[in-house]
Amino acid sequence: MELRKYIARRLVQIIVIFFVILTVLFLLFRLAPGDPVSRMVDPDMTPEDSEYLIAQLGLDQPIWVQYIIYIKNFFVGQFGYSFHYGEPVVKIIWDRLPNTILLFTTAIILSALVGVFLGKIASWHKGKKTDAGMTIGALVTHTLFLPWLALIMIWVFGFKLGWFPINGMVSEEVWLDPDSGFVAKALDVIHHMILPLATLFLIHFGAYLLIMRSSMLETLKEDYILTARAKGLEEKVIRDHHAAPNAALPVVTSVGLSLAFSINGGALTETVFTWPGIGRELVFSVSHNDYPLAQASFLLIAIVVLISNLVVDVLYAYLDPRIRY
Amino acid sequence: MALLEVENLSIGYNTKGGYLKAVEGVSFALEEGQSLGFVGESGCGKTTIGMALMGLLPSNGSITQGRILFEGEDLLEISEKKMRQIRWGKIAMIFQAAMNALNPVQRVVDQIAEAIMTHSPAVGKRGAIEQVKDLFQIVGIPQERMRDYPHQYSGGMKQRAIIAMALACRPKLIIADEPTTALDVIVQDQILEETKNLQREFNIGMIFISHDISIVADVSHDIGIMYAGQLVEYGAREEVFESPVHPYTKALLSSYPTITGDRSLLQPIPGETPNLIYPPDGCRFCDRCPGAKPGCGEESPVWVDVSPGHKTLCYHC
Ligand SMILES: Nc1ncnc2c1ncn2[C@@H]1O[C@H](COP(=O)(O)OP(=O)(O)OP(=O)(O)O)[C@@H](O)[C@H]1O
Ligand SMILES: [Mg+2]
Repeated sequence: MELRKYIARRLVQIIVIFFVILTVLFLLFRLAPGDPVSRMVDPDMTPEDSEYLIAQLGLDQPIWVQYIIYIKNFFVGQFGYSFHYGEPVVKIIWDRLPNTILLFTTAIILSALVGVFLGKIASWHKGKKTDAGMTIGALVTHTLFLPWLALIMIWVFGFKLGWFPINGMVSEEVWLDPDSGFVAKALDVIHHMILPLATLFLIHFGAYLLIMRSSMLETLKEDYILTARAKGLEEKVIRDHHAAPNAALPVVTSVGLSLAFSINGGALTETVFTWPGIGRELVFSVSHNDYPLAQASFLLIAIVVLISNLVVDVLYAYLDPRIRY
Repeated sequence: MALLEVENLSIGYNTKGGYLKAVEGVSFALEEGQSLGFVGESGCGKTTIGMALMGLLPSNGSITQGRILFEGEDLLEISEKKMRQIRWGKIAMIFQAAMNALNPVQRVVDQIAEAIMTHSPAVGKRGAIEQVKDLFQIVGIPQERMRDYPHQYSGGMKQRAIIAMALACRPKLIIADEPTTALDVIVQDQILEETKNLQREFNIGMIFISHDISIVADVSHDIGIMYAGQLVEYGAREEVFESPVHPYTKALLSSYPTITGDRSLLQPIPGETPNLIYPPDGCRFCDRCPGAKPGCGEESPVWVDVSPGHKTLCYHC
């Protein structure tokens, strides 16, 4: 009950923030120095097409009319056409976004789960070999340079050993073959996903391990842990049932941040592994002055950041009653 | 057989500056259903004794000598598994920092039920919750607040919840370490009164720890006065209050207005407590003692019987 009220309140806040972002983005793209028409309309278009687009975006109208049209277009999902692809921006985004979500959400959740688990164990063996090994391992993998690690992975497992495909997300043989069923296709995607997934995992789990470890060490000093011990609970119960749920709270925030920045932050990974995701598209659109695509991508980032925030808040409220009540 | 017999217990902590002798040669006994109060200034080792009884000294703490006989069994000799069963099952503790003693992300009812289920698994979750209901009744928290989280409670309610938790497994002994210091005086009095009644009603042995002699005076049969890690006077409450012998006890009594009832007599004890890493030779109170004689600073004092059951660690009293 309380939780639902809390979510509703956060939702309202998020919608307000989103409108602010929407407006700022509008102003950025319209009021920046230079001719807005040249930014919003593909210079290679035929004059008729560009007239039509100018009318449709209201670029010949006063600024407040443009704003209303802009908001309306947002709600009907009209973001214009990519200069480069000549396709509706929405279609490009819908094509790429699920690929990004699939790869990064899996990678982050997997590394968070493993990181939390190992961090908990490391904290329990503080100062011993297990702890030292894990902490050093986490530090080393976490500080690895991502493109370098990605290339090593591709070189060793893709090229030398030939275990995994080295680029893309699907094999045409499988997906164009009318006989392949869902399972075959899914396995094909997984096969392609393993290298980028492993790379992201190696880079990320260390951070979660370290956060969880230090958070556990702090939590274990709390008075309620002493109470738990005094109650005669077994150490394992104290660790898993009393310390870990409290200690994992900071990890949740960190997961949310990683998810929020996976779209833009993932561009590097997507580029190295030629993963057909949205991050690559964003970098591409900005470097090629593909304004409509860039504008929509920025909006998308805003949405993803806001949604991740909401998810984190809700999760946090679910885990920590002090926030919810 | 006494419920608890502590013999010549010494406890210390490894610290950066050296080995800190927090408790030295402390002996006392507690009969079933009786209560014992420890009083002394901050840092004299009260909490350390409580933690040692629970087997919960921090990792840098260690017991250097002595025995802790609980129901005839030496707690320092038994296995960790056995000790876990005794913790809360037989000996419960109300900690000094009771305000933070409850886990913030678990419902109060679950935390108390957990204690019950740990020590009598046969009760089951539902049975345990029924028992918690009764406990809430006993300590006077409305039952509809059972499913709340700790932060929704006031300080007094948290304290009551802790007392409910301490009673949960019907322990033989409860160690109450400054159980009411965080509360205002009215609530403090209420809770002390209730605790005293519960202790009688359930025939629980109780050790009260406080720096405030008036609190201990209210609730204890016997009183031990501690100074710098040692017991310096020990005896029945009336004896210790009405005819104190040790100069430190006298000083303590005159520094608390509620006992003498007269504020004009209130006087702080001049001087500082000795360093416990390098404790002085002879009597530890010597530097601050108004009645110190030549030799007090060199020779360790021995226990002197004042009257049956009332003794003091002082040559010249
Ligand atoms: N974990 C520890 N490490 C090192 N020294 C400690 C530790 N705990 C307590 N001490 C020291 O042991 C001595 C006794 O401490 P203890 O906490 O038992 O005192 P206390 O009588 O309970 O005091 P208070 O009234 O302030 O609670 C003090 O000198 C204290 O500094
Ligand atoms: Mg203390």
